[in-house]
Amino acid sequence: MATLTIDKITKAFGNTTVIPELSLTIEDGEFCVLVGPSGCGKSTLLRIIAGLEPISSGRILVDGVDMSGAEPPERGVAMVFQSYALYPHMDVGRNIGFGLKIARTPAAEIVERVGRAADKLRLGSYLKRKPRELSGGQRQRVAIGRAMTRKPKLFLLDEPLSNLDAALRVGMRVEIARLKSELASTMVYVTHDQVEAMTLADRIVVMNGGRIEQVGTPLELYHRPANLFVAGFIGSPAMNFLNGKVVAVHGLVATVALSWGPTLVIPIERHVEPGEIVTLGIRPEHVELAGEGQANAHVVQASMVELLGSDTFIYANEREESLVIRDSRGRIVRAGDRIAISLPARVCHLFNGDGDRISDAPAAYAEPVPLKERIN
Amino acid sequence: MRAGSAIAAVKRRSASRASRLYLFVLPATLLFVVFIAYPILWVAGQSLYVGTSAGAVFAGLANYTTVLGDPTFWTVVRNMFLWGVFTIPVQMLIGGVLAYFIERHTHALRGFFRTMFFLPVVTSVSVISLVWVQIYAPYYGIAQEYLKHVGIVMATSPIGDPKSAIYALIIVNIWQWTGFSMLMYIAGIANLPTEVLDAARIDGAKGWRLAVHVIVPMLAPATKSLLLLGVIGTLQTFPIVHLMTGGGPNRASEVFGTFIFKQSFVLGDTGSGAALSVIVLVIALALSLIQIAVLGARLTPAGRQRP
Amino acid sequence: MMPAARIKIRSMVIHAVLFIVLGFWMIPQIYMLSIGLRTPAQAFDAKLFTWPVTFDNFIIVIRDNPLGAIFLNSLIITVATVVIVVAVSSLFAFACAILRLKGSIFLYTTLLTTLMVPLASMVLPLAILLQNFGWVNTYIGLILPYAALGVPFAMVILKSFMEDAPHELFEAARVDGCNAWQTYWHVALPLVRPALVFVTIWQFIVTWNEFFLALIVLTKSEMKTLTIVPMQYSGLYMANPGALFAILTLIALPLILLYVLVQRAFVRGLLAGAVKG
Repeated sequence: MATLTIDKITKAFGNTTVIPELSLTIEDGEFCVLVGPSGCGKSTLLRIIAGLEPISSGRILVDGVDMSGAEPPERGVAMVFQSYALYPHMDVGRNIGFGLKIARTPAAEIVERVGRAADKLRLGSYLKRKPRELSGGQRQRVAIGRAMTRKPKLFLLDEPLSNLDAALRVGMRVEIARLKSELASTMVYVTHDQVEAMTLADRIVVMNGGRIEQVGTPLELYHRPANLFVAGFIGSPAMNFLNGKVVAVHGLVATVALSWGPTLVIPIERHVEPGEIVTLGIRPEHVELAGEGQANAHVVQASMVELLGSDTFIYANEREESLVIRDSRGRIVRAGDRIAISLPARVCHLFNGDGDRISDAPAAYAEPVPLKERIN
Repeated sequence: MRAGSAIAAVKRRSASRASRLYLFVLPATLLFVVFIAYPILWVAGQSLYVGTSAGAVFAGLANYTTVLGDPTFWTVVRNMFLWGVFTIPVQMLIGGVLAYFIERHTHALRGFFRTMFFLPVVTSVSVISLVWVQIYAPYYGIAQEYLKHVGIVMATSPIGDPKSAIYALIIVNIWQWTGFSMLMYIAGIANLPTEVLDAARIDGAKGWRLAVHVIVPMLAPATKSLLLLGVIGTLQTFPIVHLMTGGGPNRASEVFGTFIFKQSFVLGDTGSGAALSVIVLVIALALSLIQIAVLGARLTPAGRQRP
Repeated sequence: MMPAARIKIRSMVIHAVLFIVLGFWMIPQIYMLSIGLRTPAQAFDAKLFTWPVTFDNFIIVIRDNPLGAIFLNSLIITVATVVIVVAVSSLFAFACAILRLKGSIFLYTTLLTTLMVPLASMVLPLAILLQNFGWVNTYIGLILPYAALGVPFAMVILKSFMEDAPHELFEAARVDGCNAWQTYWHVALPLVRPALVFVTIWQFIVTWNEFFLALIVLTKSEMKTLTIVPMQYSGLYMANPGALFAILTLIALPLILLYVLVQRAFVRGLLAGAVKG
């Protein structure tokens, strides 16, 4: 249990700056997910937190104590590596207990703590096996067990599910969610998979190019993406982006003309000038299929249809613009059909030329309960 | 203030940690300095002095001119050239062919063949030398007895004839070390990526064509390393010659090893012994560096290429 | 597609040819054993095999010669050299490949040049150095030079093996609280075990059979190793080749037996990429 403060750190490899300047505080007991495309610096940041990578400047504080030059065990971190990094020559029990052995823990206590971790992770009958005799999911649990026994202040996980196949990944995700509630330790979790980020995190840190794009709860990021990058990164399939132009502003409402025709009225919270080029974003699941002749309906050409049973994905085109529509109501649409759709203003996002958000929060979105209150 | 001193403490601790890490490289470095570097420098210095170690006089390059003017030196150079030119390719060829057939066409007996052909390498060279002296011996040796039947008649022992002595020794050397080449090629063949071989077979290459056009080029790293080791091994040559002919008859089979041994330890002429040592060293370094530069060879016996 | 019968015939032909080649290849060893098994009357027959065989020669040479003591000399020198080479080279390789100490690559390159130095150019200065140390006719006088000459090769192999090991394992060790020594001992060494086995066996063979330096450093007969004693026996048993070849067989045997025992591990290390281009 610890508060982690990252204070204006920078990181450069030779002349290449990987992290320009970054500050972040992760609260005691929080499950924080670092997410971003590959090469965004999230793994480097995790390794910096772990103490595996020296920083070029700035400070890392654990519970207010400067740990910038400290070795991983001094920081009280434990880590689950992407490749699990199990020692191939040690059996499961020794893998889990190795850190304790190095810390000169009495043998009886090692046995006891290893046993407890193994029970919790359902590894009890595998203690004498070597890692190569285990399945991917079991190896993953051993790696978690090894991190658990150390009773770490900071529990770090580096893309722990990326080497598992899809079915196992779902199972392990549930497992990690369970672990999170049992351990009550501060956890930092790196992934490029936004589904993992959304399902596990108390708070998500979206990174891009070594910078933090946005920090927020999963729902905050979904409903109130701060910029085009976050809007495009969170959500699957990705948000549709349509080009448009502000034609009029009346108080906190802007009228936007989309380049393929329709005009929409969007509530805004930031100033925008008429005539500005903007991007309108709408998630595929928020586009509605409208009845023919319905007010505010726009007709588009369906170019491809994917039937998934529960959902139907419709890929539509209209005058250089393309749009994905996700329909869960089982409407039958065929490729080549002309369909009417509506874009409800309350779920539209508006971004200015710099990519920053200007629209107000969609009406569907209620402020979540602050983090502290949810834990207690 | 508190945080600042903590950082300083951490830094001090890691600095002393870092310097202690040099203990990892210390033993190897010490061994190198005392038993490799220092002797080489010493011998380089000594090569400039004449006389015994008791009363040595600076003589500049006199030892070198003496050595280079000695006709035996040029016999040695010729012998070393012959040694390298015959030993290296023949070992590669026989070793490579054996490796190919053992690795690709045997299964149950693979380990047996690998081991048996390698046995000469692990047999003491002094034992081998005496056995071959017996084989080559006139009257009671088996070489002349059995070679008669295939039309080769030897009047004397091949190692007793100045004209044939060096070739007779080369044969012994090839016999002893072919197993080494074989094992290097076995490692190379075993580590060939199967996908490439499959692709070649889909392209219609098989048997002889597969071997020549696909396998041989892909074993280039092993070949290069064997070449490099062969050159150094040639310059190392000593026991077989020392034990079988002593460099004779009439110095006809003298090699660098025996020549240095005689000058330094039999005649006690450390000056020319040292000059010879330096010459051998320079030749070895020059040949190695040329190979590394031209072929990109590495100083490891090579099996597969790094992915 | 080749019919199964043709594949079978081809395989039989290849095996037959390999056996014939092997038969010729083994002639020197067979010959050695054969002479050792002869009576004095047959000893000078120019034949590969003679009949009947006798074990008298072996009994005589074992009874008359301190082969056990000589064997022990070889064993002490070889084992000590192998231990030093493996320890020293693995420490060095760890510093280069895992710790990446500043300057270690420069040292590595420097030590590597040892591989290009022929022993012939080293024997004279080494002999004088050992004389100055008072190490002639001592075990240490051979062990340390052998170790110095053996470390570079072992170091190359161990370094490349450690570099190929997944780097995350060493980071995991750091997170588990290992210092450099603990990482070396608990993680690096077990990880490169096949390479350690390979290096151990190869260094054993090379040291056991080394001739040149042993000839110069060991002049007292009670210090001599198995490799350099055959010469003196060739004088001793000039008139009795049966005894000479019995003793040669005994001298060659230990290492051959050892190799046959460990060859599987040796080749495994080789195939696992202990040596690579």
